[in-house]
Amino acid sequence: MTDAASARATRALLLLLAVELAVFTVLGRNFLTLGNGFEVVRASVEVGLLALALTAVIATGGIDLSVGSLLGLCAVVFGWLAREAGVAVPVAATLAVLAGMLGGLLNGWLVASLRLPPLIVTLGTYSLYRGLAEAATGGVANYTGFPDGFLGLGQGTFLGGIPAQLPLLALAFLFFWALVHRSVVGRGLEAIGYAPEAARHAGVPVGARLRLVYVLSGTVAGVASLVYVARLGQAKADAGTGFELLAITAVVLGGTSIFGGRASVVGTLVGLFVLALLQNGLRLADQPAELAGVLTGMLLLLALALSRERKGS
Amino acid sequence: MTATPGHPHARRSRELSLLAALALILLVLGWRAPRFFSAANLADLATSLAPALVAAMGMALVILARHIDISIGSQFAVCGVVMGLVAKAGLPVPLAAGSAILAGAGLGAMNGALVAGLGLPAIVVTLATMVAWREGLRWATEGTWVRGLPESFQWLGLGQAGGRLLIVVTAAAVFALFAWGLATLRAGRAVYATGSDAEAARLLGLRPRRVVFAVFVLMGALTGLAAVLTTIQFIDVQPNAGVGLELRIIAAVVVGGVAISGGRGSSLGVLLGVLFLAVLGPALVFLGGKAHWDRALQGAIILVAVASETARRRGADHD
Repeated sequence: MTDAASARATRALLLLLAVELAVFTVLGRNFLTLGNGFEVVRASVEVGLLALALTAVIATGGIDLSVGSLLGLCAVVFGWLAREAGVAVPVAATLAVLAGMLGGLLNGWLVASLRLPPLIVTLGTYSLYRGLAEAATGGVANYTGFPDGFLGLGQGTFLGGIPAQLPLLALAFLFFWALVHRSVVGRGLEAIGYAPEAARHAGVPVGARLRLVYVLSGTVAGVASLVYVARLGQAKADAGTGFELLAITAVVLGGTSIFGGRASVVGTLVGLFVLALLQNGLRLADQPAELAGVLTGMLLLLALALSRERKGS
Repeated sequence: MTATPGHPHARRSRELSLLAALALILLVLGWRAPRFFSAANLADLATSLAPALVAAMGMALVILARHIDISIGSQFAVCGVVMGLVAKAGLPVPLAAGSAILAGAGLGAMNGALVAGLGLPAIVVTLATMVAWREGLRWATEGTWVRGLPESFQWLGLGQAGGRLLIVVTAAAVFALFAWGLATLRAGRAVYATGSDAEAARLLGLRPRRVVFAVFVLMGALTGLAAVLTTIQFIDVQPNAGVGLELRIIAAVVVGGVAISGGRGSSLGVLLGVLFLAVLGPALVFLGGKAHWDRALQGAIILVAVASETARRRGADHD
């Protein structure tokens, strides 16, 4: 797809966002307020972080289904270290991110070095990481009582209401935008997604690049787990259940091809807010939460069908 | 030499290693926890295993055709609720079972149309339908169980022993039918051909898109049957059933040696994969392990299975 077509896809998505804004301003109570806007952002930072990292993974034609489970495992690791083992919070946080990195490293090793299909690898680690979190907590332990300084990361504000975690999302956005769209590495990622053999012949270090995107994805899951725990004030084995789905939906809605070869980091961010506004707006319009799920699924199918049309033209 | 789809040596070795692993588990169980082999426990095991075998056969068809269906858990839940509602409306229970299977076929047809008709990737299509159907069902039922079912619903009115026998016999018959069809019928070979190389299959005069559509419909119908075989074990239908089923079933199929890249795998492997995973969980509990490790172990087994499969194939490539 050309850059012009990519811009057109992003414009269509922005239009959808505008329609949502208009509809929910009429239907919802207190929808179009600054406070609610910040709430929407606050609630979508964790999925947003995962989605940004997934954009790089999907650009290579891969997929990472394990990010939600890994978020849960990192949350449990952090909770256990900080509350059970008595480790200082900054150290526990660092170790939790490290755990995420290790989780990503395992995915990357299996995909890049053993050349196993990413779908089945991350389906396996999706089960493995969630299972380890369940085993570690016996399925019941719920770590709470974190210090206020840490909870501020998820619940605090600065400059009159801006959520404390927003800079993190902005930073991740800038990083992945630069990586995918403004670096040689990013060119290589899309080349791998487009034609892995050709990329290899063109001198792209395919194995190293693949390892990189999965390690980044795992590391970001570790960071997202900290935001999650700080926002909700608790760390349980079921943290982040279903997040992989929302993140993939945001990426595909944003115009990144699920087959790889074409990615849009800006699109992912817009896709994320289309989903977040849908959930928030339906709630404020007193509609059942399940409707958001049904509409999300249908939106995903629509986005897929449309991207196929565009590909054909 | 390349391992061709029907490479007999490559196919048999997975089944032999699974048999060995299964035998080992059973031996250890016989030594450490002979209670495992009590008639009551074996009957429990067979009853819980039967629906999984039916669902796994459907999943195997889809994976053999080089696709995947992760909406199976949501299909399972919808079919169970359909059966409950039809039975509650006063229609005969066999008719309710038929409508559940039909509902499954309908859901499968939707997946099939999107994948085969529009050429959309199965993983994302079924991700979307998994969410849409699950949330749609929650919306429609508001999470309430279907209660007040007729007497003839549980065990189809045959009592526990009779009902269990019926469940196991039905599953075994369906499995045998599909195993036979896959191995001998033209349609069965068409599934392998489509999964190995859709373009070559087309040049041979097959219609890969029809085959893909058909396997999704069959998978839906078999999921419906699995839901029937599960639902009749209880007096209520709970709409939250089948969460995470996709993983258990895909794990069983992949452990059974069906290649995720399509075109390779056998029905015997599927049977052994289902048996292996069904025995593993209870074995863990009987040997005094923690049930909480079940899921982690399943994930590890998927990884080991797919890694060993690829390693062996690569070894065969270097012959």
